[in-house]
Amino acid sequence: MKKTWALFLQDGKLSLKGIYFYMEVFIAVVFVAVMLFLVPENFTRTQTLHVLLELSEPARSGVVQQLGATGAQVVLSSSRGELEQAMQRDRMSGGLVVSTVGDKLKFELVLQGHESARIRNLQQASLEGALLARQPHFPSTIRTTTLRPDAARLSDRQGILPVYLTMNVALMGLFIIAAYVFLDKEEGVIKALAVSPLATWQYLASKMLLMLCLGVVSTLVVVVLLDGTANLLWLMALVVASNLFGSALGLLIASYFDSMVQAMEVLYTAMIVLMFAAYSYLMPAFSPWWVRLLPTYSMLIAFRETLLVGGDMQLVFMTILMLLLLGAASFYAANRRYQRTIAA
Amino acid sequence: MQGCRNMSKKGGKKMISVQGLSHAYKRGGPFAVKDATFSIAKGEILGFLGPSGAGKSTTQGVLTGLLPLQTGEVQVAGFNMRHPERALYNRLGVSFEQSNVYAKLTALENLRFYARLFDVPTRDPMELLRLVGLNEVAGKRTGEFSKGMKHRLTFARSLINNPSMWFLDEPTTGLDPAIAHEIKGIIKEQNTRGVTVFLSTHNMQVADELCHRVAFIVDGEIKLIDSPRNLKLQYGERVVEVEYRDDGVLKRERFSLSDPEEQAELKLRLASGQIETMHTKEATLEEIFITVTGRGLS
Repeated sequence: MKKTWALFLQDGKLSLKGIYFYMEVFIAVVFVAVMLFLVPENFTRTQTLHVLLELSEPARSGVVQQLGATGAQVVLSSSRGELEQAMQRDRMSGGLVVSTVGDKLKFELVLQGHESARIRNLQQASLEGALLARQPHFPSTIRTTTLRPDAARLSDRQGILPVYLTMNVALMGLFIIAAYVFLDKEEGVIKALAVSPLATWQYLASKMLLMLCLGVVSTLVVVVLLDGTANLLWLMALVVASNLFGSALGLLIASYFDSMVQAMEVLYTAMIVLMFAAYSYLMPAFSPWWVRLLPTYSMLIAFRETLLVGGDMQLVFMTILMLLLLGAASFYAANRRYQRTIAA
Repeated sequence: MQGCRNMSKKGGKKMISVQGLSHAYKRGGPFAVKDATFSIAKGEILGFLGPSGAGKSTTQGVLTGLLPLQTGEVQVAGFNMRHPERALYNRLGVSFEQSNVYAKLTALENLRFYARLFDVPTRDPMELLRLVGLNEVAGKRTGEFSKGMKHRLTFARSLINNPSMWFLDEPTTGLDPAIAHEIKGIIKEQNTRGVTVFLSTHNMQVADELCHRVAFIVDGEIKLIDSPRNLKLQYGERVVEVEYRDDGVLKRERFSLSDPEEQAELKLRLASGQIETMHTKEATLEEIFITVTGRGLS
């Protein structure tokens, strides 16, 4: 342990003289600044509705009153041409033309063209439902129940934190630890270490320890400033497990190559594959089985749980256990490989 | 030192024992070292001589555990190199041909850090820096060092744990003559303290000056192992070259010491009192190397 500690202090000193430490801190600071000053706590999704009313009074006033009650942002147009021009200026807006056929109201939904068939049908159904609901004596048979009425949800800003933690704390170590090993190879010091009583695993462990410190520091900076401290101890335990997993995987991949240039392709590919899980996290509708098998998928979900008040800590515990096991297996394999190739 | 060089080391306790060592970098590929067998006695300096690519570094790589032992049996300081224990490295010192120190650390920081990796008492880093003439720049980052200074630091580092088995790869390459002389002095001094040395070099003068025995290696094969003196006796022509004046004209003549007639002529020439210079012309190790291996050293 004395030797690992000596090497860790040495690597720490070197990292303060290099760029990687500052790069990690810089990314954390930039992330916090963007989240605090550019990203709103929650995204608002109010759609503007451009409305053309080809009606005479009193029907016109009645429709205006009803539209106002929906909460939508309504802008009245005076002609069809004006409505279409307004929609072209705001590509996220929608349009509605209300006219009469005989003594009945006729509704025409005007869409931009980029809406999917699902959205198109949904809007049509919503309009029909709203109209039906305003019929006198309309019998509503819809009842809404909630499985977990006390379930908390993260703000939109906090919801991005698990992605940041997975990318910057778990997977960034994959790159940086490889860079440190290749730097030692380039300078040749790895040969000098190989002919000292320092064991290979001690060399690798000191590098992982350094990555862990970087990960813990950058996590604390981010979660404290972004109010992600609901289950801080569980969160830090998960950060440790994720970071060890990422570092061990980085060491294993790097053991197959002689330089960072050679290893870059595989490291990038590994990172991209592992980050597929972020798509499923952000868009739960896309969760194929192979994405759910990725350790980063469980990692993202577990990070989310640690940020939630009343999150599922059993799931977090199981994820920590899984990451530690995967990390240990990667470390064992990396150690075996480096014992044979460290000074080659 | 001549006396030391001629000191017989045969029959002493073995520090290194190598039997049938072969090594290839690719499976089934060409062998960098083929069936090498030799031993080094405790307190001996063995020079491994050969041109670039001869197999010197590969042999040293296997002996220091940097390369895996593929074929053969190798014992270093009592440790089996098939599965070397880390404790072995408390007894080993290795100075590399290519300097390998942390460029962002000072010379003193480099040595202090390396000293912490050993389980045995280590030498004072400043004392080592003084030994190789780097004490004045102890606080300077090694990234600003010249090639020669880095080489001296790598050399000094290899002594940090008071090694009993010392591996030196081209210890004087790239150094100016005065510094090279000091380095050779340090090697001799360590050897008189009982340190065993495995010295890889293509510099025959260094080998001749320092080694008790030399091994000639070419294309991965050891062609011969013997003391420089025996090699010179066996392969060299024992000749004396004299310069003398005859009627005011400078003349030069060679006399073989193996031929009784020429010995008698030499005596006459000496008796004449006309001799201005006289040199023995024993064969150099380089000449013997070429004779034995049919190859040059560069």
